[in-house]
Amino acid sequence: MNLTHARVWRGTMPVQYLYTAGVAGERFFQTLRRRGVLAVTRCAECQVTYLPPRLYCERCFADLSQAWAEVAPGGRVHTYTVVCEDQDGHPLDPPQVVAFVRIDGTDGGLIGRLLRVRLQDVRVEMPVDAVLAPPRRRRGRMDDIVGFAPRRALPRRRTP
Amino acid sequence: MSDRVAVVGAGEVPLRPLSPRQSYREMGFEAATRAYDDAGVTHQDIDSFVSVCEDFHEGTSITDEYTPDQLGAVLRPVHTVAGDGLQGVAAAVMLIRTGIADLVAVEAHCKTSNILAHEQVLTMALDPSYERLPGITPHFVAGMEMRRYLHETGAPEDAVAMVVVKNRRHALSNPVAAYGEVLSPDDVLASAAVCAPLREREISPPADGAVVLVLASEEAARRTPKPVWIRGVGWASDSPWLAARSWGQASYASLATQMAYQMAGIAKPDQEIRFAEVDDTYAYKELQHLEAAQLIPRADAARIVLEGGTRRGGRLPVNSSGGSLGMGYCFDATALYRTAAAVRQIRGEAGRAQVERAATTGTQRGLNQIEDCEL
Ligand SMILES: [Zn+2]
Repeated sequence: MNLTHARVWRGTMPVQYLYTAGVAGERFFQTLRRRGVLAVTRCAECQVTYLPPRLYCERCFADLSQAWAEVAPGGRVHTYTVVCEDQDGHPLDPPQVVAFVRIDGTDGGLIGRLLRVRLQDVRVEMPVDAVLAPPRRRRGRMDDIVGFAPRRALPRRRTP
Repeated sequence: MSDRVAVVGAGEVPLRPLSPRQSYREMGFEAATRAYDDAGVTHQDIDSFVSVCEDFHEGTSITDEYTPDQLGAVLRPVHTVAGDGLQGVAAAVMLIRTGIADLVAVEAHCKTSNILAHEQVLTMALDPSYERLPGITPHFVAGMEMRRYLHETGAPEDAVAMVVVKNRRHALSNPVAAYGEVLSPDDVLASAAVCAPLREREISPPADGAVVLVLASEEAARRTPKPVWIRGVGWASDSPWLAARSWGQASYASLATQMAYQMAGIAKPDQEIRFAEVDDTYAYKELQHLEAAQLIPRADAARIVLEGGTRRGGRLPVNSSGGSLGMGYCFDATALYRTAAAVRQIRGEAGRAQVERAATTGTQRGLNQIEDCEL
């Protein structure tokens, strides 16, 4: 449709926000930034480990503010997709592989890009480890995790 | 007092990809006029009004203030549901069963063509701390869900394509559908990958429209010409956290349908339900939802769809309206369009879209906040 011939007005909704990470989110992101591991909460009653961490159990409604633990940032590709479009519907070149990674030792997981892998080699249930930004460049945000890479492809060194 | 509730009027504006002439409020007026006429009532007879809308879809804030006049509801009891149209139906059922109202109008509309990039709205629906990935289409969530569903069930991508072929073809017989078309499975499989395995033609295209239903108590329904009784309603919302949901199964739809079946006294849905309208915002969701609703055994939906069992003439006609893939995706109005289509089926007024023996039906809907309704 040629919008110049229709009785329409163009407009935007110019609203700006602050998003509060919250008590649980603050601990998660600061732990990630400082030590490169993932802070999680555990409900002993339900035997559920929350990642992203929450201050409450969504099943039994228990307070989990004293039920913290830490896990290494590795797991398995629970599912993935090959993203071929950007946010405006334009082609992404090259396409990006985005996965939901079920993190070991948790019942949750994180969404991130798959790195250092050929498209045809990606598999559901493939083990992966997080690729973290160098400690000095981390800002306490999700992009401190640059992505996830197949476990065998990582150089043999301990996560800092 | 009777507990029974009926849909006594349905009115809709035909769904179209563009509607440059009318504002959404004028479309709502047209739908309301048709619905009240269909029920043989006037706006003054309606005791309470429910409008289903969300700010970002309208381009205004505090949208609930924009809903009364086109329904004839100024200075009358109105409330707004920022959810799915079926939650509006459930609210109307509760208003009637609690004795607050005898006649309730439920309205939803969708001026999708006014949103220049709906993907921007979808992106903002994701959790800002953990789930928003910059620079990629928000359909990535559906792409991941589809992959896991296919992985767990072994369903071939051909079956997903067949859902598109079937629904687009069904839409040719529905005068209010926007996207009727004869396609082959290869046409669908050849369409561009958006978030592989999800393809462009497997995503329902947006459409503009408005729809109003009139619901009535048994006493009020007896005075109307064509009541269709609601035997059960159910709704359930999954965890808002993507990390806490099942990626392969539609757990919310299982719970919602169980609630509706229990209320309706339906013990064997696969034998008692004669046709179904289920959510197909993305084509794979139809397969997932049929299994969740126990209309087809788990991991069997693909086979039955490929065999033609869900076509209009099949054993279980599914989305004979054309579904969202064939009618057009119309935000929170989707479920009300489908409910209106089910009402016409049960009345025997569906014309070329009519299925045989349409006595008991389910209409069900799911995306991120999920509920279900059983008529
Ligand atoms: Zn618990």
